[in-house]
Amino acid sequence: MELELELGLAPPNHAGSCGKRGTKEAFGIDKAGLPLILRDDDGDHGSNCSDARDWEMSNKKKRLVGWPPVKSAHRPRSNGGHVKVKMEGVPIGRKVDLSRHASYHQLHHTLRLMFPSSTSHHGDPYAVTYEEGDGDWMLVGDVPWEDTVMSAKRLKILLV
Amino acid sequence: RKQKDNDTASLSTPSSPDALPAAAASPRAPPARASRRVASPGPATARAAPMGRGGARDGAAAAPPWHSLPDEVLEHAFSFLPAAADRGAAAAVCHGWLGAERRSRRRLAVANCYAAAPRDAVDRFPSVRAAEVKGKPHFADFGLVPPAWGAEAAPWVAAAADGWPLLEELSFKRMVVTDECLEMIASSFRNFQVLRLVSCEGFSTAGLAAITEGCRNLRELDLQENYIEDCSSHWLSYFPESFTSLETLNFSCLEGEVNFAVLERLVSRCRNLKTLKLNNAIPLDKVASLLRKAPQLVELGTGKFSAEYHSDLFAKLEAAFAGCKSLRRLSGAWDAVPDYLPAFYCVCEGLTSLNLSYATVRGPELIKFISRCKNLQQLWVMDLIEDHGLAVVAGSCSKLQELRVFPSDPFGAGQVLLTERGLVDVSASCPMLESVLYFCGQMTNEALITIAKNRPNFTCFRLCILEPRTPDYVTRESLDAGFSAIVESCKGLRRLSVSGLLTDLVFKSIGANGNCLEMLSIAFAGNSDLGLHYILSGCKTLKKLEIRDCPFGNKPLLANAAKLETMRSLWMSSCSLTLGACRQLAEKMPRLTVEIMNDPGRTCPVESLPDDSPVETLYVYRTIAGPRSDTPDYVQIV
Repeated sequence: MELELELGLAPPNHAGSCGKRGTKEAFGIDKAGLPLILRDDDGDHGSNCSDARDWEMSNKKKRLVGWPPVKSAHRPRSNGGHVKVKMEGVPIGRKVDLSRHASYHQLHHTLRLMFPSSTSHHGDPYAVTYEEGDGDWMLVGDVPWEDTVMSAKRLKILLV
Repeated sequence: RKQKDNDTASLSTPSSPDALPAAAASPRAPPARASRRVASPGPATARAAPMGRGGARDGAAAAPPWHSLPDEVLEHAFSFLPAAADRGAAAAVCHGWLGAERRSRRRLAVANCYAAAPRDAVDRFPSVRAAEVKGKPHFADFGLVPPAWGAEAAPWVAAAADGWPLLEELSFKRMVVTDECLEMIASSFRNFQVLRLVSCEGFSTAGLAAITEGCRNLRELDLQENYIEDCSSHWLSYFPESFTSLETLNFSCLEGEVNFAVLERLVSRCRNLKTLKLNNAIPLDKVASLLRKAPQLVELGTGKFSAEYHSDLFAKLEAAFAGCKSLRRLSGAWDAVPDYLPAFYCVCEGLTSLNLSYATVRGPELIKFISRCKNLQQLWVMDLIEDHGLAVVAGSCSKLQELRVFPSDPFGAGQVLLTERGLVDVSASCPMLESVLYFCGQMTNEALITIAKNRPNFTCFRLCILEPRTPDYVTRESLDAGFSAIVESCKGLRRLSVSGLLTDLVFKSIGANGNCLEMLSIAFAGNSDLGLHYILSGCKTLKKLEIRDCPFGNKPLLANAAKLETMRSLWMSSCSLTLGACRQLAEKMPRLTVEIMNDPGRTCPVESLPDDSPVETLYVYRTIAGPRSDTPDYVQIV
């Protein structure tokens, strides 16, 4: 096979041809009907990020999944990462270690495994909320993932 | 040559001369004279008299030619080859040697649990006493592998229980180990002695209780950075009162409480205890009383270390440490009040290893403490030590071999005063420095070139500049020149992680000069397919390649498909790969498993997707076991 390659200089803010980043996981509407909406700091961009690249270009400060490459044990964390999770209509709660998840999407995946759709809500849409330091309940997904890890004291899954 | 990759290397100790494990010096070492005779043609020794497959001979006859020596002789000769690579080479000589080697192999390291089937491994090496198995790819440490990916330890435990009843040591890294696994281990191996679990998950304190209750000859229970579910089981209490064989106890990653009275009694009666690493639940004053019970400790992990200053506690600690004349390795989660550090001064001079990477202590007390550790070989710290602290380290710790500096504020605004300066100073003044992991905010080519000139003896160089694609902050150029200098100068470099702004040119240099390179980590670097091509067509000894967020596409992958079978594994995430190329690769290379991973939740079968579908994550590894059957829905084997 012939290999046609060219040597080119990287443009200064070269981010385009990297394809998808891990942050794409945190965008869009998941098939299971769980909205995990991540807005950027400006709040100007819409939630439907079909054009992930534009978003990437304008939010270089956005936290990347798994970067910098430090193990979760080495990251500063407030409460050891474990938080209780309760789902509306399900009597028994669970515990999840937020610090072992790198993104909202991974958290969602774990929650789906912990609360399979057969038990209570039969695939109805639901929202994940978390209680933060001053006792307020917030919708998961508004702020960068790392901020949620640091500030969430417990989670509650509500049927929408 | 440091024995890092062989199957006798311990995961927790640094690769330093005095950490060479006892197994390397074979317990069956004969007098030197006899070994010389075995190796060369000459009169047969009395040991050759018992007949092996070499044919019936009596001791008085002429020595058999080397290629038909009896098995016992071969096995004895092979016992001097602890390194797996050497044993593998011996096994490749001929069928006779293959048989003798595999039947006598005592230690087995499986670096990728999917590279071979457990039953096959057990059948092939029936005499194994110590086995180590690793599972998930390295990037799983940073959250890039979603839950339920695989790497279950259960099939390995089951196969071992069947085929290795005399197994003594088991080590798992990045695998899912369940309580059932631990119960099976406890009940299957009557002489089980060493359990080491590193970065594993899936088990609870109930499983630990099975181990402590069932393993009567346990010497080491080493739990490093695992996720352990706390069932409030009093696992420590299950050690019988008659149990005294413990030499290593590491439960630093355990979140919950342990019964301190039980721990104290255990420590008191285990007179051979050398390594004790406590968790956060043990307060300072209890540490002091444990030390009084175990002054023979060589390694101590202090657990949580934050406390208000009390002079009587200080005195207790100082007295306790003064009794520990053998203490060489110290670690702990020191949210330490700096005022307590002088309590340790008496052990400083003996310390060879200091791990403060969980410690947020900073300031002059920290630096004064480290400066007293004149014999330090391994230092892990947070960047709170700052440049001036590293300058002191450079001046004080002339025997330093390994330095790791972790970021205290990985996402912050960079208020820490740690720059390239610290690394330059240490590399200039520590002639034995060979392994570096360094997180910082800025770098220059000049610094890297200086470091390369100072330390051509690097074997491991991992630099992580926190912000991706950061250029040389003085010249604004890429860091190609700096990293090229590293690979050109450090001819023995085995592990390299690059960062900052890098073009394809640096990979040309790495490909051409990385002749010992075994592991390479690349992130946010390069500008075209050429970069990956340089690596895959060079780097003759490359085993593991992990790449994220680089503009590398299909062409270099396909052009260098054969190379992948010479490597253990390749990880590429957020690059420019498409499904068609993965399909071609899988078709061309039947002894590779080509796994693609897309977002969890997207479960449409890969067969239905077109060739130009983007591939988010590719994980390719060589295997003799065929495709695995335990993939989760978000992993597809092409």
